[in-house]
Amino acid sequence: MATRIVRVDPELKDLIPGFLNNRRQDALTIRAALAQEDMETVRILGHSMKGCGGGYGFNALSELGGILERGAQNRDSEAITNAVDELQAYLEQVEIIYD
Amino acid sequence: MAEPTKSMQYRVLLVDDDRDMISLLSSWLKDAGFEVDPVMSGSEAIARIDVFRPHLVITDLVMQGMDGMTLLSKIHRQNPLMPVIMLSGKAQIADAVKAMHLGIAEFLTKPLTKDELVARVRYTLRLAAGESDSGANFGKEIIYRSEKITQLLEQAKLLAATDVTILITGATGTGKEALAKAIHEGSARKDQPFVAINCAAIPEQLLESELFGHEKGAFTGAQTKHEGLFQAANKGTILLDEVGDMPLSLQVKLLRVLQDFAVRPVGSVRGIPVNVRVISATNTDLEQGVKSSRFREDLYYRLNVVPLHLPPLGERREDIQPLLNHFLKRVGQRDNKKRKRFAPEAVEYLASAPWPGNIRQLMNVVELCCALTNTDIIPLAMAQKALRDQPAHVQTLKDAKEDFERSYLVSVLRVTNGHVSHAARLAGRNRTEFYKLLKQHHIEPEEFRTSRQATEED
Repeated sequence: MATRIVRVDPELKDLIPGFLNNRRQDALTIRAALAQEDMETVRILGHSMKGCGGGYGFNALSELGGILERGAQNRDSEAITNAVDELQAYLEQVEIIYD
Repeated sequence: MAEPTKSMQYRVLLVDDDRDMISLLSSWLKDAGFEVDPVMSGSEAIARIDVFRPHLVITDLVMQGMDGMTLLSKIHRQNPLMPVIMLSGKAQIADAVKAMHLGIAEFLTKPLTKDELVARVRYTLRLAAGESDSGANFGKEIIYRSEKITQLLEQAKLLAATDVTILITGATGTGKEALAKAIHEGSARKDQPFVAINCAAIPEQLLESELFGHEKGAFTGAQTKHEGLFQAANKGTILLDEVGDMPLSLQVKLLRVLQDFAVRPVGSVRGIPVNVRVISATNTDLEQGVKSSRFREDLYYRLNVVPLHLPPLGERREDIQPLLNHFLKRVGQRDNKKRKRFAPEAVEYLASAPWPGNIRQLMNVVELCCALTNTDIIPLAMAQKALRDQPAHVQTLKDAKEDFERSYLVSVLRVTNGHVSHAARLAGRNRTEFYKLLKQHHIEPEEFRTSRQATEED
């Protein structure tokens, strides 16, 4: 996984707490979906994370989103579990610098 | 519409069912000075259009409920000229190709950056401004959305400011006279006459007198003095259309006019000075004419100081929809009737038709459809019938295949922004084969790249 320090455009400052909260919620939703083998939910959330993570400055989240999306397409539960673990660890550790 | 760079006044309706994406894009657009109305579904978007009156709609392609393609067609049913930018992931590229082929939306693939988004929004607004309210713009009579015509007009605009002699080439019906007129109207000569003559339409014996004039009694029937079109165009511009069909005997006389800036009417011994800007146009290959001695080489170089080429309609399909709308509007206004519209399937059919007769043929098809349809919506069957009834030459299978291949390659490169590896993958070819195809069709992938992507590919 790439660096945990992320530089974000100050104009997005107000949006970042909500964005990261939504990702925390995603992690929980993905775990629940995985337990029910609901791969479509995992795929949609992964696709969405891939699409906007980098835009907010979190390239690592885009990468993880891509892994989740592919994992769901391949019905690869192990890859998805690893990615969600990684996602939650990242969300706990990430430090943001607005500049 | 004013200049898009003064973006504060532009309203953008943003449609995406992903709340984080919509917050991000809103923030970017607001920061760039646009007024943004974010909505989270296609049905909300439809409801907001009449209230918010956006200059531009940006929508995601894949959404819950109404998807982007359905929204696009609903928007265009009500507002045929509304510019729309569609956001899509790489996986949905087939849909992207379909919509681009129809020429009804700009496409932007996710993930995207702020700079990419803002640049595309400004570009799209600029094109729309040129199309719907171009009173102050160069080429206001020319209807287009395609990059090819945008570039051609930028070049023509520069040339308009000079007196340089221009040769416009292009097949029948591609708009050569409209372009010549735009150049005249964009020039310092705009308040002086613009005179167009079709050199192929006038019998050889009359053409000299038409162009240069004649004295009273110069030939049988010349009962009065006639000043000729060069003199009529004095201080203005003359368009010599179908100049390739001018007889050799007259070519030498035209050459003399271009060298001496003076015309000598038939039956006169003295030259009359004229100050005329000459634009000529042809649908034939003048170079070939020179080789086969049907056209004078010295005249060819005199006329062809700067060449401008108008592509056939089949190479600028993005312009078909705006052209259809333009002619529908014109016919409605002329006949003082409610403006008709083509059904979406009819537009799709017309957008992919071959159009050997180009814009003139398209105009005739619109006329025929309007005349023969009683309802407000022109159905697919009528469009098919109108096009079938139009005289058109049939392409050979080889030519048709080549045309298809070229337009396919262009579409794929446009979707991938000139990224050859991606394009090759989409086309199911390896890179080497793909490059070979591009070379065969003289297509440069660089022309489709943005600077950022060029760096990534290199």
